[in-house]
Amino acid sequence: MKYLTCFLLIGSLFIRPANAQEDYSFDLSEIEKKAFQFGGYLEARPVFSLLDRESRFYSLIYYDSEQKKKAMECNFKALLDLSYERGIAKAQIRLNADLNHSHSDWSQDFDLYEGYLSLKPSLHFHIDIGKKRLKWGKGYAWNPVAFIDNPKNPFDPDLALEGFTVISADYIKSFSGKLRTLTLTGILIPVFKDVNSQLGRHNTLNYGGKVYSLLFDTDIDLMFLTGPGISSRYGIDFSRNITSNIEIHGEGAYRTEYSKRVVDDESALDQKKRDGCSYLLGIRYLTKSNTTFFLEYYRNGRGYTQKEMEDYYSLIDSGYDMYLMSGIEDELDLASSFTGFRTFSPAINYLFLRILQKEPFNIVYFNPSLTSICNLGDGSFSLVPELLYTPVTDLELRARAMFLVGNRGTEFGEKQNNFRLELRIRYYF
Amino acid sequence: MDRIFGICLALLMVVPLSAQDGNDILKKLDRNLSPESFESYRKLINIEPNGRRKEFVLFTVKKGADKVAALFLAPDSEKGRSTLRLDENMWLYIPNVGRPIRVTSMQSVVGGVFNNADILRLDYAEEYFVEKTEDLETEWLLHTKAKTNSVAYDHLRIWVDKDRILPKKIECMTEAFMLIKTIHFKEVKDFGGGIVRPSVMETDSPLHEGYKSVMIFASIAGRELKDEVFTLTFMPNMETLRK
Repeated sequence: MKYLTCFLLIGSLFIRPANAQEDYSFDLSEIEKKAFQFGGYLEARPVFSLLDRESRFYSLIYYDSEQKKKAMECNFKALLDLSYERGIAKAQIRLNADLNHSHSDWSQDFDLYEGYLSLKPSLHFHIDIGKKRLKWGKGYAWNPVAFIDNPKNPFDPDLALEGFTVISADYIKSFSGKLRTLTLTGILIPVFKDVNSQLGRHNTLNYGGKVYSLLFDTDIDLMFLTGPGISSRYGIDFSRNITSNIEIHGEGAYRTEYSKRVVDDESALDQKKRDGCSYLLGIRYLTKSNTTFFLEYYRNGRGYTQKEMEDYYSLIDSGYDMYLMSGIEDELDLASSFTGFRTFSPAINYLFLRILQKEPFNIVYFNPSLTSICNLGDGSFSLVPELLYTPVTDLELRARAMFLVGNRGTEFGEKQNNFRLELRIRYYF
Repeated sequence: MDRIFGICLALLMVVPLSAQDGNDILKKLDRNLSPESFESYRKLINIEPNGRRKEFVLFTVKKGADKVAALFLAPDSEKGRSTLRLDENMWLYIPNVGRPIRVTSMQSVVGGVFNNADILRLDYAEEYFVEKTEDLETEWLLHTKAKTNSVAYDHLRIWVDKDRILPKKIECMTEAFMLIKTIHFKEVKDFGGGIVRPSVMETDSPLHEGYKSVMIFASIAGRELKDEVFTLTFMPNMETLRK
C-alpha cells in the first residue's frame, strides 16, 4: 500500500491544471534539428501477486524458501536513447537500467540494449554495424520468423529488449506498377564467447538475409538464417489491408535439425534433433464504434506436446519429493535447466485475442482492453483486463490484472501465481 | 434582346455547374493548398471540453498523388514515430516497437478527432470525384463521393472560396450522409513560393461533443524527393530528411 501511495504522489506532481486559453502559436524554433538527441522514459511498476502454492512452478522456484500467499514486488526502470548524427553517419545507443525489489531482496541490472553506427551513403543503400534489434515478422503476440531476436512477451509485445551484434546492409528500390518497393537485406552475425553466444557455436560466423516487397498492396518478406553450429531457418510473412478497417497478416517458419530438450521416461535429459514448422495467422478489425479486435492463431512447431509437459511436471514432482526427503536438489536443478518449458509459450497450439476500446465515453487518451491467451492443447488460459490512460502529455498510467485459469497439469494452471495486479507509471522525456 | 440575354444569364447563375467543372475546381483547390511534392511542419492540438490540450508536432513530406510520410517531433512520448502512406497502404513505425506495422485509415495514431486519413491526407481529387456543384454567392459547394470504399469518408461537402479557390469548410460524412466531422479553414497566410493558403484548420465532430482538434501549418514549401523516401525501410530514418 505504501508503494501505491508513493507512486500516486509522484504521479500527481506531473498533473497540471487545465488551460482553457486558445493559443495557436507555432514557432519553428520549437523543433530546430539538433545533431545530438536524447530521450527515453522512467518507469515504476509495483506488482501484487497471489501465489499458487500447490503449483509445480511454485515448487520448482520456491522449494527452499516458502513464500506467503500474497507477494508484493516493485520494479523501477530507466530507458535512455542517445543519438548523434553527422553527415551520412548516425550513432545510436539505447541503455536500460532495472531495479527490482521482491521477497525482501533488491536486484539491479544495467544493459546496453542497442549501440550501433548507421551509414547512409545514399537513399538506396545503408549499412548498420553494432548491437541492434532485428525485428522480423508481422504478428502482434508472436513472431516465428524473428530469427535474430529475443522472444517477446505476448502480454507486453512492445517492451524494449536487448539486441544482437550484427553487420546489416539494406538496398532499397522503388518502382511504379504492382511491385512498389523491393528491399534486400544482408546480415552477418559473429558468434564468440561474449558476443551473440546463444546464437550457435563460438568463433563462427552466421549469415542471413531478407527480401521485402510491397507487391499488389501486400507486404511480403522472405528470410533465412544459417551458419555453422546453428539450425538453418527459412521464413515468409505477409500483411495486407483488406478494407479501411481490416488488416490480415501471417508468418511461416521452417527450422532444420533444431535441438529440443525433453524429459525421457527415466527422468533424464533427452536432446532430440528434428525439423519443425511454426506458423501464425492473424486479423485486426476496427468496428465503427472504435473497438479493435486482434485475433491470432499460433502453431509453435518447437513447442512441447501435452505428454512432454506432463513428463516435465513429473520430473518437478519427483525432484521436490527427493528434496523433501533427503535435501538433494539435483533433480530440481535439472528441471530448472529446462528453459524451454519456462518460455512465454512452451506448448504447441495457441489462440490470442485482444479487444481494445479506444477512448470510450468520450474520455480521450483512455484505452481499456481485454487480452486472453489460450493454450488450445490443454484448455488453460490467461485473462488480462487493462486500463491505459495518458492524463497529461508524456505521462502514461497503466493498470492491469492477470488471471491465470487452468486445472492441475495444464500450462496456466501450473504457473507459480494465479493472479497478478500491476500498476505502471511511465514518464517520457 | 438584352432582356433575353439577361434571362439566359440569370438561368446560368442558378443552374448547377457540371461535375466536370467541379472536378476542375477540386484539382485547382488541391494545387492551391500545396504543391504536388512538398515538405511541411505542422502542429496538431487536441482540445478537450475543459480546455486541456495535447500537442503534436509533425514534419511531413509528400510526393505526387499517392505518397506521404510524417515524422513526430513532439511530444517526447511520440518523438521518432513515423507514419507512411502509399496510396491506401498505411504503416506506423514506433521506435520502441522497432518495426513498421500496418494501420488502417480509420485508426488514429494521435487520439481525439483526427484519424490517420486526416494526418496523411492525399489530394482531394485523388480520392473523390464531384457529383454536383452548387454555385453560391461567393462560394461553390462541391458534393463529392469517394472513388473507392477504402477511404475514410464516403462523402465530402466542400465549400470553396471563389476568389482564392481555397476551402472554407468541409463536412465529412458516412455513406448514409451522417456527419462525422467538420473542418473549418482559417487564417489564410502567405508561406512563400506562391503558396497562399489557410494556416489553421479547426475540426469538430458530433461524435466527440465539445472536443476540438486544430492543425496549424508553420511552413510549407515545395521539395523534390526520391521515391525511396516513401518505403518501410526508410521509416526509421525520416529524421535525416530534416535540414
